[in-house]
Amino acid sequence: MEKVKIQSLDKNYSANIFVKRPEKYRELKEISDRYEKMIPMGSCSSYVPASFCNDNLSILMTKFNKIIEFDKVNKTITVEAGIKISELLQFTLKNKLWIPQIPGYPSITLGGIVATNAHGKSSAFHGTIRQQIKEILIYHKTHGWLNLSKDENKKIFDLTIGGFGLTGTIVQVKLKLEDFIGYNFKTSLIKTNSLIDTINNFNEENKEVYQYSWNRSDNITNLGKGFIFKNEINSIENSSVDTRGLYHDTNKLESNFKFNLWNNFTIKFSQFLYYNFHLQKKNKIFFENFKKIIFPFSGKEMYFKMFGRNGLIESQIIVPAKKINQIIDEIEFNLKKELPEITLLSIKKIKGECNYLRFENDGFCITFDFVRNKKSLNFMENLDSICQNNQLIPSIIKDSRLRLNTIKICYNAYDQFKKDLNEFDNRRIYRSQLSDILEL
Amino acid sequence: MTYMIVGASSGLGKDLAHEFASNNKNLILISRDKTDLEYLKSDIILKHKVDVKILPADLSSIDDVENFLRSNEKTFNSLDGLLFPIALMTEKDKVLASSLESKKIIYSNFYSITLLINNTLSINKNKKNITIVGFGSISASIGRHVNTFYSAAKNALETYFESLIITTLNENIKVQFYTLGYLDTGLSFEKKLILPKGSTKKLAKIVFSNLNISGGKFYFPFWWKPISLAINILPFSIVKLIVKRFN
Ligand SMILES: Cc1cc2nc3c(=O)[nH]c(=O)nc-3n(C[C@H](O)[C@H](O)[C@H](O)COP(=O)(O)OP(=O)(O)OC[C@H]3O[C@@H](n4cnc5c(N)ncnc54)[C@H](O)[C@@H]3O)c2cc1C
Repeated sequence: MEKVKIQSLDKNYSANIFVKRPEKYRELKEISDRYEKMIPMGSCSSYVPASFCNDNLSILMTKFNKIIEFDKVNKTITVEAGIKISELLQFTLKNKLWIPQIPGYPSITLGGIVATNAHGKSSAFHGTIRQQIKEILIYHKTHGWLNLSKDENKKIFDLTIGGFGLTGTIVQVKLKLEDFIGYNFKTSLIKTNSLIDTINNFNEENKEVYQYSWNRSDNITNLGKGFIFKNEINSIENSSVDTRGLYHDTNKLESNFKFNLWNNFTIKFSQFLYYNFHLQKKNKIFFENFKKIIFPFSGKEMYFKMFGRNGLIESQIIVPAKKINQIIDEIEFNLKKELPEITLLSIKKIKGECNYLRFENDGFCITFDFVRNKKSLNFMENLDSICQNNQLIPSIIKDSRLRLNTIKICYNAYDQFKKDLNEFDNRRIYRSQLSDILEL
Repeated sequence: MTYMIVGASSGLGKDLAHEFASNNKNLILISRDKTDLEYLKSDIILKHKVDVKILPADLSSIDDVENFLRSNEKTFNSLDGLLFPIALMTEKDKVLASSLESKKIIYSNFYSITLLINNTLSINKNKKNITIVGFGSISASIGRHVNTFYSAAKNALETYFESLIITTLNENIKVQFYTLGYLDTGLSFEKKLILPKGSTKKLAKIVFSNLNISGGKFYFPFWWKPISLAINILPFSIVKLIVKRFN
């Protein structure tokens, strides 16, 4: 078998790996039984090296994409884990149903979503994918086929959701679906003048409204100026989303330009345009199609390409509401000190309960994208200290630069996860570059 | 209308099943992998709302094929077409492959297919319209040190389909044969190949749109046609050197 060279989306890690793409249940078993070390792979679009490891086998699951059972009355669906999220939505939306915890790119697979406990734009309302999962079928080299749910193999069920593929290959997932009565989204904007102003303008909504901000980061005087976007499902009875627009055949995130094109000038220019374009829309209600809201990065792959060969750094942290003002102050202080080049700064609310290595908690979720350079790395070091001192939760699946020490301090249940995983699989068969970093 | 797809559980077979179902054709799906067939059946019914019947059978075993034919006689009566996107390749397929190994490869890729066609045509007493589609391989153009029996079987299949085309020229039977180059399937997935792989989804669309053509031979991806022609024109002594260079 020939090796393939592969890179994490943030370009921080690359590896030469073996890849097998089973298409049948028999093949998956044969492959898993034949190799010593392996890791399941979805669409391999993670920022971090979670689905590969140098010289090891990655089991590419994209051909496991069938819908196995659908119960419209009880609103459940069982699907194979390699299905792209856009393919799954194409089917459920025709039946006016969906799962709301959707990461921002259409070729991401359900297996990748479950294994990273992903969330979507509605994280304040719906929490993470964990809320929708009823049952999982995995294949594990030594344990064979295992059904997991709250009633059967509960511990492995919990380890698997947000377990980074380390408990074996997720083959099928049974999901609880939610209603989606509507055709598109009704969007409105609130203009904000600073990061604190942004925080203060997030409303407690009792209806289903998705709120997230876009904030300027191009210079210190503009820092935090921006908008809170509010998306509400445009509830038109007897209408459903035009699912043809969701068709997504190829993952266009793979290649980058040779050189980094994000610099002070291009960041300033693009943020100036974006800000002024949206300024016209403030105080207006407008309609946006499903794909644009739910998959904001689809069609905007140029954004990633522009980081060039060195790639980007993404950081996402959850800050509890009671600490948010203090943390914003500390972040602003460090931004002014280090002046990193930030291409994206966004805030949304999230709800949940952090257990094991799952990225979820009640609070504000702050996302930054940086150009990979010394200034950004210095700022990130400071951000790590802020996380450690305040027990904030940094996202493991977004930031490949995170140190083990930070993770151990911020994730209370790190040791428990490690212990339970080793109890389940003492040979530690399923491993990735990420699990090596995490010393799992 | 009902079409039987032999080798339906993965690769081209799976895409053909979806393409035909999306065009409202009912399906009978055959493969040795019962679990995969059951899941494929659910998937197709949920997505396309057509009738799907599944019949597990292992074409590498003549006993299995004969049993299958005996117990499913009626099924063949109702067919409007048969497609054979089946390919069995093994790592042990070399000149010195065991008799068991070579038999399996020859049965799956050639002999069992002829038995199914024979059965269909003999039952078709009313001379109704039937379409039969076979899939060969570019590897049949020349002998090789790997996939030896596979390429020999595919070569035999091509000759058999040519005979079928010629025999059925004046009948209601439409026969098509596709010679396939590299396709993006599990068989070629991990191989680095010198030419790009063709999409099985695209091929499935082409096969469906060509269903009414009588006696057609096609290449997919199309660039394999001149390559195949060149292999046939060039003297073996030269072809031998080229093959050696790329193997
Ligand atoms: C543009 C973009 C936007 C994003 N937006 C969001 C967002 O809004 N919210 C969010 O939470 N995340 C977001 N993400 C992160 C993304 O959801 C995760 O990185 C996700 O895991 C990627 O899925 P994948 O199919 O590419 O899996 P991979 O990257 O291939 O794998 C990711 C992890 O999942 C495991 N895995 C994959 N398939 C299986 C399987 N079948 N069985 C067991 N384990 C498996 C792998 O082993 C690995 O640990 C975003 C990523 C991108 C690139």
